[in-house]
Amino acid sequence: MESMNKLGRILMVEDDPKDVELTLTALEEYNLANEVVITRDGEQALDYLYYRGEYKTRSSGNPAVMLLDLKLPKVDGLEVLKQIKSDGELRMIPVVVLTSSKEEKDMVASYKLGVNAYVVKPVDFHEFVNAIKELGVFWAIVNEPPPGSVRK
Amino acid sequence: MARPNLQLQFAHSPVLRYGLAVTSFAIALGLALLAQRYGFRDVELPLFLFAVAVTVWYAGIGSAILAVVLSSLAFDYFFTEPRYSFYVRSSELPYYAVFILFALLLTWFSAVRRRVEQQLLQSRNELQMEVVKRTQQASLLNLTHDTIFVRDMSDIISYWNRGAEELYGWRAEEAIGKHSHQLLQTDFPLLIEEVRAELLRTGRWEGELRKSKADGSSVVVASRWSLRQDEQGRPVAILETNNDITERKRREEEVQSLNEELAKRSTELESINRELEAFAYSISHDLRAPLRHMAGYSELLQKKASSVLDEKSNHYIAMILDSAKRMGNLIDDLLAFSRIGRTETQKTLFNLAQLVKEALKEVQQDTDGRNIAWKIAALPEFYGDRSMLRLVMVNLISNAIKFTRTRPQAEIEIGCANGSADDLVVFVRDNGVGFDMKYVNKLFGVFQRLHPSDAFEGTGIGLATVQRIIHRHGGKVWAEGVVDSGATFYFSAPRP
Repeated sequence: MESMNKLGRILMVEDDPKDVELTLTALEEYNLANEVVITRDGEQALDYLYYRGEYKTRSSGNPAVMLLDLKLPKVDGLEVLKQIKSDGELRMIPVVVLTSSKEEKDMVASYKLGVNAYVVKPVDFHEFVNAIKELGVFWAIVNEPPPGSVRK
Repeated sequence: MARPNLQLQFAHSPVLRYGLAVTSFAIALGLALLAQRYGFRDVELPLFLFAVAVTVWYAGIGSAILAVVLSSLAFDYFFTEPRYSFYVRSSELPYYAVFILFALLLTWFSAVRRRVEQQLLQSRNELQMEVVKRTQQASLLNLTHDTIFVRDMSDIISYWNRGAEELYGWRAEEAIGKHSHQLLQTDFPLLIEEVRAELLRTGRWEGELRKSKADGSSVVVASRWSLRQDEQGRPVAILETNNDITERKRREEEVQSLNEELAKRSTELESINRELEAFAYSISHDLRAPLRHMAGYSELLQKKASSVLDEKSNHYIAMILDSAKRMGNLIDDLLAFSRIGRTETQKTLFNLAQLVKEALKEVQQDTDGRNIAWKIAALPEFYGDRSMLRLVMVNLISNAIKFTRTRPQAEIEIGCANGSADDLVVFVRDNGVGFDMKYVNKLFGVFQRLHPSDAFEGTGIGLATVQRIIHRHGGKVWAEGVVDSGATFYFSAPRP
């Protein structure tokens, strides 16, 4: 399908399996879920981006967007963001912080590190689905990703 | 009072003085003539000498000389041969000379004696005056409550007033003659040599000293020393004034320790508060995730199974979703509440009337289909955190809207009550369901609600938020209400 070919790869960094499931469900609802890479902590996310560990042999290309939770095991979201944004190659990847609540300190820190968007997950599932849909549609379809991003 | 100054003085007028000479001479002459008539012999010379003596005593040397001259002439005229003539036989000349010399000697002696006596009298008077003056000063010093004592340059006490007796418990006769620093066991905060050096250099010294009383207890005094110097400028004595500041000192120390305690407590409180805020935040934050999941899965279940579930089961799912939503609101409000405590207030001067307009716009959707008579008075300038104050107004106004819902004609008044010179008072009044004053202290507590949630929705955090914001502005909140007759919410804040 034409639109499927244009769909960018989404890298999701989320430790909570329920959040993963619900996010995927929301993405599926709008047919955005066919190219989603899920990493469960900050270290795994960085391994993916740097072709390390289990991702040593993954197909090349950067995600069109990265959905990043802040509260993560091992390496937390802000640290991941910092590493990405200070890397000459990776800094071009659009990063959306998806977090549970609006802590001003986190928000300020994220923007200072150069985050591209900051989204608080709504409690209401309708609103959550809408938010995910809009994010997915915008970053994976509407937005023209930087060169080197994987698109199907 | 000073006694009248005793002083012998010659009569001022020369007429009086020479009159005295003539009179005493005349009396002596009369007596001598009288004695002669009755056959007494040789009394004239002593009488004349007596007259001269009286004259010199009371009228001075000049008049005495006159008396001597008159006496000599009278003696010659009346009492020596040839009588009733001033002729003097050469054989009687030595007799005259002796008389005149004797009279002059008497005059001179008398004059000297008189001068000495006068000096003595004067000295005595001066001495008496001095005694009176000193006694007065001493009794004045005794009148004061202050402790005053005088010591010489080797610190031996020479004066000890009543205040000193009262403070130290030593009587004057016990203290006088003692070494003051030994008697009072003076504890100097610095070297006594330095104190003395300053005293000698500037003539005074003051400082706090710890001393001991007769009963052994110690006392802190504010001590002032003044150096007394003689006419040549040599230091002779030290006057020391003591004021008992033990009590003041104790209170100062008490206040200081209380202040320290207070500072410690407030630091503790601050850190506890911070912990509590962090705890509240983290709880709220962590509660959101499972809640989101519950809501999410329930909705997915509803979507997938509602067609095959019976009405009751669908109702259950709807209730789960409703509760999840309510809990979400609670957590959000709690987060907002906790944020007020954590964020710094950014104070500016702004117009409260403009703020109320904005707040009204914000709650506009709640007024749809309602019949509300607004009465908004002129409002003052306000100095505070604008966004926080906006939250206050939104909360109070939306409460007023909410609790007048049952009224066909709601009346909501926003105005300014009589504040004080320092504080302004703003109120929001409604004619809604009101509340029982019995529960007024529950109004501003977190999660406190005076109405069942199915009657009036809400999280019970709004008024707690209002109170917290106003407290952060240094103001107060209070409310008045009557069941079914409306409520008034007030807040005060320092005037800009």
